[in-house]
Amino acid sequence: MEEKDKDKQKKSRREFLKKSLIAGVGVVTGSKLIAAYIDKSRLESGEKVKALTTHGEIIEVDKAHIHTPRVSIKESHKGIPGRKFVMVIDLAKCKNARKCVESCQKGHFLPKSQEFMKVYLLQDSEKSAPYWFPKPCFHCDNPLCVSVCPVGATYKRSDGIVLIDNERCIGCKFCMTGCPYSTRVFAWKKYPEFEGDKQPYSPEASSPGKEGTVSKCDFCPDLVRIGKLPYCAQNCPMGVIYFGDIDEDSVTNGAETLRFSELIRDRAGYRYLETLGTRPSVYYLPPVERQFPVDKGFNGLDKNVKNRYENTPYSKTHKL
Amino acid sequence: MENKTIRDNLLKEVAPHLERTTPAALAWILFLLSIIGLGIFAFITQVTKGHIVTGMRDNVVWGIYIVNFIFFMGMSYAGAIISGTLQLFRTEWRKPIIRLAEYLAIISLLIGPGYILLCIGRLDRLYYLALFGRIQSPITWDVIAISTDIFGCLIFLYLSTLRDIANLRDFKELNLPRWRKKIYSILALGYEGTPEQEKRLKRATDIMAAMVIAIAIIVYSVLAWIFSVTLQPGWHSTIFGPYFVIAAIYSGTGVLIIAMWVFRKVYHLQQYITRKHFVAMGVLMVVLAALFGYFTFSDYLTKWYGSEKNDESLIKILFSQYYWPFIFSNYIGVLIPLIVVGIPKLRSITSITISALIVIVALWFNRYLIVIPTLESPYLPIQDSRPEWLNYSATWVEYSLTAAGVALFCLLYTLASKFIPVMNVSEMADVPGTDKTEGPFLTEESLL
Amino acid sequence: MKGFQKVSCFLLLVILDCFQIKVFSQEQKDSLADINTKISLLYLNTSNDTVVLTANLFVSRDQGPFALQNAEIEFTATAGKEIKLLGETKTDDQGNAVLKVHVKSGLPCDKDGKTVYLVKFNRKGKYLSSAESITAKLAKITVNFSKEDSLRFIKVNANQFESTGEIKPVTKEKVIVYIPRLFNLLKIGEIALDDNGEGRIDCPENLIGDSLGNITVIAKIEENDTFGNVQGQSSITWGIPKQYYLAEKPTRELWTPIAPIWMIVTLIIMLTGVWAHYLYAVSQLIKIKFARKKDLF
Repeated sequence: MEEKDKDKQKKSRREFLKKSLIAGVGVVTGSKLIAAYIDKSRLESGEKVKALTTHGEIIEVDKAHIHTPRVSIKESHKGIPGRKFVMVIDLAKCKNARKCVESCQKGHFLPKSQEFMKVYLLQDSEKSAPYWFPKPCFHCDNPLCVSVCPVGATYKRSDGIVLIDNERCIGCKFCMTGCPYSTRVFAWKKYPEFEGDKQPYSPEASSPGKEGTVSKCDFCPDLVRIGKLPYCAQNCPMGVIYFGDIDEDSVTNGAETLRFSELIRDRAGYRYLETLGTRPSVYYLPPVERQFPVDKGFNGLDKNVKNRYENTPYSKTHKL
Repeated sequence: MENKTIRDNLLKEVAPHLERTTPAALAWILFLLSIIGLGIFAFITQVTKGHIVTGMRDNVVWGIYIVNFIFFMGMSYAGAIISGTLQLFRTEWRKPIIRLAEYLAIISLLIGPGYILLCIGRLDRLYYLALFGRIQSPITWDVIAISTDIFGCLIFLYLSTLRDIANLRDFKELNLPRWRKKIYSILALGYEGTPEQEKRLKRATDIMAAMVIAIAIIVYSVLAWIFSVTLQPGWHSTIFGPYFVIAAIYSGTGVLIIAMWVFRKVYHLQQYITRKHFVAMGVLMVVLAALFGYFTFSDYLTKWYGSEKNDESLIKILFSQYYWPFIFSNYIGVLIPLIVVGIPKLRSITSITISALIVIVALWFNRYLIVIPTLESPYLPIQDSRPEWLNYSATWVEYSLTAAGVALFCLLYTLASKFIPVMNVSEMADVPGTDKTEGPFLTEESLL
Repeated sequence: MKGFQKVSCFLLLVILDCFQIKVFSQEQKDSLADINTKISLLYLNTSNDTVVLTANLFVSRDQGPFALQNAEIEFTATAGKEIKLLGETKTDDQGNAVLKVHVKSGLPCDKDGKTVYLVKFNRKGKYLSSAESITAKLAKITVNFSKEDSLRFIKVNANQFESTGEIKPVTKEKVIVYIPRLFNLLKIGEIALDDNGEGRIDCPENLIGDSLGNITVIAKIEENDTFGNVQGQSSITWGIPKQYYLAEKPTRELWTPIAPIWMIVTLIIMLTGVWAHYLYAVSQLIKIKFARKKDLF
């Protein structure tokens, strides 16, 4: 294995030598400055460059982990001005790759037993077709979970996002019974993963998690604030999850940007369990003309994950 | 108005209960304390290790704690409604047993809310309920309602024991340490039975009797609304408020009959608590059994007949996975009292007590079947590989704390009976018939 | 050969060590195994006499790419033998180093008008050097709007700059028309340029603009072999003014912080009723105590 890696390294090194015109050894010195230009009189500084908080070391940063300061709890009660977020999930493209689940768990420092995003194998009736159903929080416009909270620990913001303040939550779990979509999860004990997050707590990041409180999918407003898509939308290999601003009539999965109204019109988008009157902010595109057969979704699954689909109607007629 | 000889004889009868603690009673108290100790240990385990030590998980977020909560609160409201009604109607046979109902109201009201606290993940933030309370939340309604109810029941209990406390203060033959006599003297508020004092006491007692009935109905409805305001298939029912109230009085009647039986045996009150009282309570229990059966039937019938997908699957679970508990709680628990008390030949103190016991257990399971199967069958199917995530089963922690609650209930009942007589001595000493016209309702006949 | 490489690598490291004690003092804990870095380059001509060069530096790991932060990237422009250093800038926390180049400052170009842009990360410690280049010819796109009767058109005009300084139309190229949205650009149409370097499309009716109805239209030639990415943009009030979802004033709903009025009123009535009775009962108790005192004296 190591040999292979070394070979690879050499190969790429050679390629790189071919490519580069000038070979040399550079010095990277520690500095708090970011944009140090040689000729300042002629060159403007790049506007996308952000201020650094580190003190000069070269740091490897996971692309998905952006270390911008998190907003305070008080600030998190206000929505991002002039926005109303919406998610569209294309069931025709989902093959249970579970990248949404995993990236979300990683991004929110969740233990394996806690999933903000869950992927169900649904079959509406005996003869109807089974399909994969990724389910985030629906961020309802009539959120029963928020209505029933006795201490205002969960709240809906002006941008439509429903957040939880884990510093306020008393853990009565009423919201969990109030939510008809089984979206909320409880921290039944102190999970070591929570310790992995060294940044101060913010409801916008839902992290670090707190024992004895409720948490859930938060639509990643911390990422949205810096123009990034939520973890699930960013990391879905099939581009199943579209995210955007409904008032701007546009959603994107990163690769393609579409008009929300046209997408819903052309693909007959709907909201799950509309009859309950919760008015979700998540729309589904029905699983028509699918790109994958359902059993593709079992490929490469952990045994533990596979087991959970054992009692589905699908498993009674098919071998998993 | 009081017949002094009757009163003094009665006081002599009950004085030993207050004066002495027999070795058997001591052993009983120690036994209860050890169970409570186990409960404390379980509680400490839950606080230090987190709620993971319970059987509750993300789907069944409320387990037998909430079942116990409903159960104890139900008993309390039953105690309040029974004692309040009997007081208002000046029912003659109430006198030896009304104190037991009042105890029931206040003691279970002190234990019940403890169980909802056990469901709370962050007890250290409990005061947030007062600090950040939202009026929209049924939990806030419940907090307000229960605390109002506790005050109401305490005032009512105090008003209805005031005359007995004054009697105890004045009863010279009572062999008690001085500090206890001092307490009686302070609590008696200088009540001497002057016409004005008597008039005021009657008036206040009647008002509070009416209040505790009203509050009990409202508070238990609020508790029912905690469930029925959600969209969960088994809970989202308009009938839940009255259904819970009826179920509460029904279970409380059962507990009261048991309490009557126990105190009758232990304190040898056979002379005062007679078959007549058991039959009277039994008849009340039958009426409530019929009402309870009616409400249960309406609730499940409409769910079954309309057969919405999720209701249907819930009914399916109840009749498969929970078949025996369901049959026991909703068939046997209704039919047994109907048969036993309904057929006059079968009525006896023992048979009524046994059917009361069955009613209590059946009602506990009834609440279990309301809470747990619903949480086990949400709109989106539970897809999990961990069995404890699929189906709820209580752990030793939950069972220990349940046992501790029952033990605490028994302990408080025992201690209360050692402080103030379990029978309303002063009312029993009242000359029969003299107070009838003074009641708010002109009832010429008692229930029997 | 392998041995020689190892030795030379070692020597190189020794030399590095001598010169850059500072650097290595910060990384003593790290193993000295070399790590290949990768760099990508994005070229965008904004038609604003500016070329934006974005370099992204990262290392490949099993878990995916890891951005390298605070690394110095060197930007140069070349044509033939002419080499011009454009500048140096450091990567941010996402591994991006951005440089804006003024076209008017004069870029070297060959006889076809093409310039080679080169970005380079010079080896630093265990992180090996990497470089990337892009070749592009300067061009410019302008966006205009016109209204004929009730029809509204977006007009696009594209020109290219020859090495001689001459300006010629860009012909036969595909221009994609976008409007910017929260995360990405929303495509609203495509234009094939004619011989004059011009083209137009209908402006869709129901585009949502800002709160005043302003929309920005971006026309873009994308990943073109000759021109790279070229974009031009312009704004007009042809959009539908954006309606804000929630009024600033909080409403009284079940889920808002403040409760509906009827709820508060009901609660107050009930609590007042109950507690008034309690107070009455307690007042009777107090009077009972008082009544006794009167008897005594």
